[in-house]
Amino acid sequence: MRVKLFSVLLPLILVVGACNGDDGDDGDGVRDDDQAQACGESYAVGVSGPFTGDAASIGQEQLNFARLAVDDFNEENGTDFQVVEGDTQLDPAQASTVAQQFVSDDNILAVVGPAGSPEVEATGPIFEREDMAFIGMSATLPTLTDGTYPTFFRVVPHDDIQGPTDADFMVSEIGAEEVFIIDDQTSYSTGLADVAQGALEDQGVTVTRDSVSQDETDYSALVSRITDGTDVAFLPWQIAANGQLFAQQMEEQGKEAVIFGSDGLFAPQDFSAEGAYVSSFAPDITGVPEAQDVIDAYNETFEAPFETTFGPPTYVATQVALEAMNEACVAGDASRAAVLELVGGVTIEDSILGGPIGFDANGDVEGARFYIFQIVDGEYTLVQ
Amino acid sequence: MEFLVQQVVNGLTLGSVYALIAIGYSMVYGILKLLNFAHGEVYMVGAFIGYGVLTAAGGPDALVIPVWLVIVLMFAAAMLGSGLLGVVIERFAYRPLRGAPRIAPLITAVGVGFFLQNTVLMLFGARIRNYDTPRLIGFDVGISAGPLRISLVRILVIVLALVLTLLLTYLVSRTKLGKAMQATAHDPEAASMMGIDVDRIIAVTFFVGSVMAGAAGVMIGLVFSRVYHFMGFVAGLKGFTAAVVGGIGSIPGALLGGLFIGFAESFSAAYVSSRFQDLIVFGILVLVMLLRPQGLLGSPAVQRA
Amino acid sequence: MPRIGTDEWVAEVDGRTEQGRGPAASARRAWDRTPAIWRIVGVVALVALLPLATDSTFTIRVAVNAMLLGLLALGLNVVVGYAGLLDLGFIAFYGFGAYAYSLLSSEHLGVHLPTELTIVLVVIGSAMLGYLLGLPSRRLLGDYLAIVTLFFGQIFVQLAVNLDRVRLPWAEETVNLTGGPNGVVGVDPMRLLGFELVDVTHYFYLLLGAILAVGIGLANLNASRTGRAWRAIREDPLASSVMGMPVNRLKLLAFAFGGAIAGFTGTVFAAVQIGVFPQNFDLTLLVMIYAGVILGGMGSLPGVLIGAGIVAVLPEVLRTPDHARLVFYGVLLLGMAIALRPWRRLASILGGAIVLGLVVRWGAALLWPDAVAGGGEGVVASVIDAWVLRVDQATLIGNLAFVALIVSVVALTRVRGRALDLALVPVIYLAAFVWENRLVAEASVTRQLILGAVLVVMMIARPHGLLGTPRVESL
Repeated sequence: MRVKLFSVLLPLILVVGACNGDDGDDGDGVRDDDQAQACGESYAVGVSGPFTGDAASIGQEQLNFARLAVDDFNEENGTDFQVVEGDTQLDPAQASTVAQQFVSDDNILAVVGPAGSPEVEATGPIFEREDMAFIGMSATLPTLTDGTYPTFFRVVPHDDIQGPTDADFMVSEIGAEEVFIIDDQTSYSTGLADVAQGALEDQGVTVTRDSVSQDETDYSALVSRITDGTDVAFLPWQIAANGQLFAQQMEEQGKEAVIFGSDGLFAPQDFSAEGAYVSSFAPDITGVPEAQDVIDAYNETFEAPFETTFGPPTYVATQVALEAMNEACVAGDASRAAVLELVGGVTIEDSILGGPIGFDANGDVEGARFYIFQIVDGEYTLVQ
Repeated sequence: MEFLVQQVVNGLTLGSVYALIAIGYSMVYGILKLLNFAHGEVYMVGAFIGYGVLTAAGGPDALVIPVWLVIVLMFAAAMLGSGLLGVVIERFAYRPLRGAPRIAPLITAVGVGFFLQNTVLMLFGARIRNYDTPRLIGFDVGISAGPLRISLVRILVIVLALVLTLLLTYLVSRTKLGKAMQATAHDPEAASMMGIDVDRIIAVTFFVGSVMAGAAGVMIGLVFSRVYHFMGFVAGLKGFTAAVVGGIGSIPGALLGGLFIGFAESFSAAYVSSRFQDLIVFGILVLVMLLRPQGLLGSPAVQRA
Repeated sequence: MPRIGTDEWVAEVDGRTEQGRGPAASARRAWDRTPAIWRIVGVVALVALLPLATDSTFTIRVAVNAMLLGLLALGLNVVVGYAGLLDLGFIAFYGFGAYAYSLLSSEHLGVHLPTELTIVLVVIGSAMLGYLLGLPSRRLLGDYLAIVTLFFGQIFVQLAVNLDRVRLPWAEETVNLTGGPNGVVGVDPMRLLGFELVDVTHYFYLLLGAILAVGIGLANLNASRTGRAWRAIREDPLASSVMGMPVNRLKLLAFAFGGAIAGFTGTVFAAVQIGVFPQNFDLTLLVMIYAGVILGGMGSLPGVLIGAGIVAVLPEVLRTPDHARLVFYGVLLLGMAIALRPWRRLASILGGAIVLGLVVRWGAALLWPDAVAGGGEGVVASVIDAWVLRVDQATLIGNLAFVALIVSVVALTRVRGRALDLALVPVIYLAAFVWENRLVAEASVTRQLILGAVLVVMMIARPHGLLGTPRVESL
């Protein structure tokens, strides 16, 4: 009897809890602001990413960097911006729901994320309808910035830039004639692999293509299929730890091919296969002086050295969002439409990614190029 | 030829790990007719405990005790920890549901699984931990015959799995405890009438099954390095599959099922394509099930009145 | 039930006393008295008012998600609840419906069929697929059938991911059929009877109507010969076939029905998400559908809907830390109020916890003022801040306290009587401590934790589901 009562009241509580959240007035929340320098209101930036589930290793780092960026910005500018997190578990359906959540929250003026390209495609129309700018830090499908999603920006270059860069390096510097490309069945990976394969084949390289699931435990069988004639194994993977295992198993089986990883494998803590190449959209952030403070702060706050390349771009993306929000608020028009207009014009002179950040007309980051590193004596050394 | 042998070794290693997880599933099913979907998380906790021991001993680069001792300690700690966890889960989540319809504990198991997974995520973060085995035991240690390479770690895993399974079979078929477990699995009411403490036997079953899972966790860490909070989900699924394909409730069936899946995965990836590996394996398994509806070593299901 | 041989009026009063005198009991009686049709109308009317009661598209979207899950639960209920067949590949029908709609109404293949036609095609297609996937049920039973259906489900997802480079023997280029990991985007909105559904609210009403239609249909089906036949084969397949029932045909029929409902739901899902991706159909979703069905009570239509509703809405409510806090304390207090009777016991334990909290807070502020951190603004936050100790080293201490909390809750189940009351006081404070210091900071992880805990607790509390009927099961 008590339990029946409980089971009836629990849904009621949920309903009450759910209804309690509407902040009332709809619309774009235009509020006046008298302060000249900094925004006095506590608006929020929505952060969307995979914070639990299989891809949590990527998402949690992104979230931590976003929080760090907000804290740093608040400290520097005397603002009081907040972070609202939205866990998507890399599922576009959840990303779409999170987008609705952000859109319905009047305090949120801009969004950082979502992490995956399919998620961007699922959420683009929702953000577009509300003029909400959303800044991606890891969605690299080239078609995302072809105009279909006018409110989308990204701080990392897309696959059409990385693919040819990697392919050209493989041909010209490594002298590869046979390349084995393995993608990990994600949107990021297959897109990049396709572009690279095309670029390689155009230059007369023989390409063998295969794919492996991210959940795969053992790569030994796949590794044993790498022939002795293969010069390069190209791994456009998202999870560096997987790449490390692959490299170990290649060594275990005495395979000679050189490993070339895309920016997903750029993680000094996780991927340290001797002699392997890795491409990255930024010169090593541990070498960038501006980044040192940020890294120290991160290590201190989050007790773990940052691992992957998905973190620092989130920092930058959040910075961009906050700059635009602050500017709009100070100008007296803290609306999403105003923020959207300003985002395109935001420039960060010395970003922690080692260069200036600015957007072109499509929402892509300007001056994007990729750097190639080689792991020598356990250290990442810039070679191009 | 060496290629074939290499694949056999690959299949054996992978299959051994799946088999150990599957044995836990089969044991619990045999005695409670319950599919313990939290089993995968127990395995994950075992892997983390092993990692904890390794780090406490200084990490793979700066060990304060000899390598063999570290490995023994890792296994012992993980097995004990997982075993205890399994017993606690049974006591807390499954015992209250003894009389319930069979499908109810499934959801409880799932709930426990979610809880464990996210507890580990909260306490230890989402970083993928690495056992870094090559720094522990180099790859050159092992058997090398031309292109064929079998590292010591793999041999260790295969042998250990075999030993554990043999020990378990001995336990179940020769000892008094094992007889009690068999009796309880066959007919709990009659067993309790014969003076067997059914609750205790069930707890022991969970303990032993979880011990296997803990061992599997450390093995996975040693051979395949990556340890993270979500690893239990997929592995649990494969273990469950192996247990059913081998004939659920049968321990040798679980072993066979695990090995079968391990081989199927390795061979399809090596000889056909890694892209279609899952499709091929599932296809094979469907065929197996259609040809042998009771699983490889299961007894034909009796339709009870 | 009036006792035989007593005065009718006396018996009536006795009956009412037995059932309870409070407002809850009279509400229950009033509910039981209204004929089914008015009950349904009442509930539907109430739900239909939701878009008018809120401005937030998020709330409507959550409601839409809940209704999608509800429809799926209805479909699964047919297979698992009515016919007793464990189908772990149910997601495949959902995916089939979604992909079929997307491929037939988007630029991907250049096909734009009218929505009515697409829906009819999808329903027929999914029913056939259900039939196909159900064929193994002739040879396989119980858990073995479950695993084969699981394989089919996984095969579907693998096909969806890999069929983006199909090599046809006569074509030069590979054909991109399913879009691979990138899925199919730019799906047309549904257009029914000339009306285009572009807004979330439109789909809300569409789904409401669908649930009504499917629900009534299933209720009638359940009461019909087929429903009785399903119940028979669920309880005892051997006896049923001995009685001459076409057991295999009935099983296939159940699969087909379940598949058709899921397929239809898939089409609406694709229209709502404006696209379909293979990541939409992972095993977590399957688990959620099962949780909804079992939580609500297998075999009971309203139960299954309520279960699905809880499973869908709970995680969304918990997304926001403020709501989560409300739910946490609300459930804590409610749980205590229900479990701890008489009210003197409740008051003493609650009072004890409050006093303990204040003492600890005051003591900590006195002894280690540096370690104590401040709280948020607002009335609720300040009240909580005065009671719960918030520390600076929140992560580390919070983690340790969390572990301690789990251990103590597990230990509590072994304790009885006076000792239990005594032990409850610090544990309640510990729970609040862990919440405020650690769990609130990690909204996303906490929401999964709570989901898991709720599943466990609810199943232990009601093993047959909320509205399920206790059944004796022969294994």
